Amino acid sequence: MPPAVETVELTKVYGSVRALDGLTMTVPRDRIVGLLGPNGAGKTTTLRVLLGLAHPTSGTARVLGTDTRSARQQIGFLPDVPGFHPWLTAPEWLQFAGRLFGLPESVISKRSAALLDQVGLTTSRRIGTFSRGMKQRLGIAQALINAPDLLILDEPTSALDPLGRMDILNLIAALKGRTTVLFSTHLLADAERVCDQLVIVDQGKVVASGTVAELRHARSGAGTLFDLDFTGPADQLTQRLSAEPWCSGCELTPTGAVITASDVTAARIRIPALLAESGMGLVRFEEREASLEDVFAHLVGPR
Amino acid sequence: MTAFTTLLAKDLRQIVRTWRIWVLPTLTALLAISGPITARYARELFASLGGSEFLGLLSDPTWVDAYAQWTKNLAQLLTFVVIIITASAISGEVRDGTAVLTLTKPVSRTTFVVAKFVATAALVIVSIGGGAALTYASTAVFFPGAPAGPLIQATLVWGVLALLLIAATLLGSAVFSSGGAIGVGLGVLAGLGLISLLPAASNSPSGLLGLPGLLGSGQSADVVWPVVTGLGLTVFLLATAAIAFNRREL
Repeated sequence: MPPAVETVELTKVYGSVRALDGLTMTVPRDRIVGLLGPNGAGKTTTLRVLLGLAHPTSGTARVLGTDTRSARQQIGFLPDVPGFHPWLTAPEWLQFAGRLFGLPESVISKRSAALLDQVGLTTSRRIGTFSRGMKQRLGIAQALINAPDLLILDEPTSALDPLGRMDILNLIAALKGRTTVLFSTHLLADAERVCDQLVIVDQGKVVASGTVAELRHARSGAGTLFDLDFTGPADQLTQRLSAEPWCSGCELTPTGAVITASDVTAARIRIPALLAESGMGLVRFEEREASLEDVFAHLVGPR
Repeated sequence: MTAFTTLLAKDLRQIVRTWRIWVLPTLTALLAISGPITARYARELFASLGGSEFLGLLSDPTWVDAYAQWTKNLAQLLTFVVIIITASAISGEVRDGTAVLTLTKPVSRTTFVVAKFVATAALVIVSIGGGAALTYASTAVFFPGAPAGPLIQATLVWGVLALLLIAATLLGSAVFSSGGAIGVGLGVLAGLGLISLLPAASNSPSGLLGLPGLLGSGQSADVVWPVVTGLGLTVFLLATAAIAFNRREL
């Protein structure tokens, strides 16, 4: 069976801007895959190309083994800001969406009721009176009306309050193993919580992909991270660290640095010593495993 | 239901549930009723405004004057209303994000455009048909024995012009914002007006501009070529709108 999504050297140019720059990725079936990246990285453009809303300048995109337009019967989609006709009610919109998929009326009615109940929208008010969060939940419901093989969500939780966000994440997590979910987000905690796999994009390219564990491991190697907050100029410290055999990386932060160490014992002894030798004041010294934030910051870099 | 009937039903429901239901039908009804009244009492109105010394120059009003009011209203007011109510049909859905949610489902953009055309045309046809019926009823009250034929012919020919302008404005709406779509609709109308100045232009779609007034006054005119070429241009503009919308990125 072909993968749910496969892009090869996908490029999209808008004037002088390369929104996608040879983006190649594969999304396996029945996985929940997070598309991560900073603003302007190309996440939404990638999704738009997959949905046939934008045409690639070059490269290919195949969805569910076919071209993007032919696959629509099996795709559910929620844009970052879903637009609904304000004069319809939520059940009417789901009926409209279901009919566009050619579903029998009995199926539409059954699924609509179940989905609206699932997302907590059992109101007969017109959509024009809905809050942003309610619209987002209706967006999820309409994206599932056709029981899609592939669910594409663009920033699905960005407009939601913490409880609404939790509900949507639970709903996505419940699809695990049944539907392929590809969702873009810049909320790393959301991605970490529900995703089987992550694809990190930056400047229109895939810069890393894998499971959260794989990405963490790749970030720290066999090493451990040390968070440092200190006072004084960082130049001397970085210079001295580069001469230390146990130090496999050092990234400066606004208040200090994150040091990657291959030899934890040596690092525990040498880091405070190096600071003291450099005449710098130690404010905080913390040993920890690499987080998804570290992976992201390492790959994407400071903005 | 097919994708087309689903979209058409939605577009018709939109007309009924939004401001669109009030603008054209209400305006048409008001104009239809007031036209024959204005024609009947034009002399009295003129006299009350101090023009009594010129009354002798005015002939007694007839049904021709009542129908002339109707055809003038069609040409001078309702033509522009048709362009305005069509302008946001596609561009409004693109702006509001509803087009994206709709067109990521298994429905073609051509179907989307054609449904918009049919829904808008239905609104115009029903409104103008109702307006013509009201004009006839109102005219019959003040000018008993008024024939229905000239009114029907004039309204039908104007209806073809309206279809052409709906298609032109939809083309604008498929490519530009609502403002741009109005510009395209008005541009096509102005273009037809300019072409009508050329010799032999009466057989082209531009012939549709002058025909309603002529037919409404009871005169005979050759309508076949303007209608055929007008409908041909409508199909061409609609096809162009579909092609343009298919190429547009959303």
